[in-house]
Amino acid sequence: MSNRRSRQSTAGVSRISDDQIIELVSKLRQLLPEIRDRRSDKVSASKVLQETCNYIRSLHREVDDLSERLSQLLATIDADSAEAAIIRSLIM
Amino acid sequence: MRPPSSLKQEFLKKWITGLQRCSSSKRNMSILERTKAIKLSADVAMASARNSTTCWSRALIANASKDGSDGKHLVEQILGLESERLMMKKASTGALVCNKRIRSKKILKRSCRIPRTRKCVPQVALATSIAKRMVRKRTQVLKSLIPGGEFMNEVSLIEETLDYIISLRVQVDVMRGLAGVSELVNHN
Repeated sequence: MSNRRSRQSTAGVSRISDDQIIELVSKLRQLLPEIRDRRSDKVSASKVLQETCNYIRSLHREVDDLSERLSQLLATIDADSAEAAIIRSLIM
Repeated sequence: MRPPSSLKQEFLKKWITGLQRCSSSKRNMSILERTKAIKLSADVAMASARNSTTCWSRALIANASKDGSDGKHLVEQILGLESERLMMKKASTGALVCNKRIRSKKILKRSCRIPRTRKCVPQVALATSIAKRMVRKRTQVLKSLIPGGEFMNEVSLIEETLDYIISLRVQVDVMRGLAGVSELVNHN
């Protein structure tokens, strides 16, 4: 029964919202740095997906690198010191 | 849609609060512990800035609260009272949906594996089927990257991806800003 329901729901999505999917994919393309600069309109869906995955992975990596960098920087700052107060006042 | 600058401010506020709560409990953290705390509070702040309006944000917080007692403890500290409400919401729907989808996927996979006798395939059909296979494969990869992605249909997946990328960018921008400021302060 769940099989039938899941097949019905996917069939429903592809029948009703092909345009919706195209629109969403084009929005995704605009977010991606590499594809946005390319002039061609004909970018395949699988290429967009691939670029999306690469972009998300690179963003994850950057977050990890920044976390490490911040951890080293903040470790040397004493929580009650003047430097911490400066940082707090700059970002709040 | 909320303007990005207010999203940055909200993320920053929640992240700093989370960081302060994390570091107030443990005075002498190792570099590794601190890195984890920073990343976790950044992720949780990013997710909670969405106020449970997106699937990925709920999944992220649920996953963070799952991994052993450390993660759960940190999430509770960062979110405070909000965390109980958020965790209960995900727990009630997540497990049920998960089991149903996994079972239906298994049945679908098994039934698709059986018809293997294909004689001659015309060129166009072959190219389309290869393209479809590539899209399916890449969609699977994307699902593994977005928190909670395995439970989404294709349309929601793309919508969630859009929002997730925007939030990730905000997170990276704010973290980079703070790192820059800290470096300047440190050099003085």
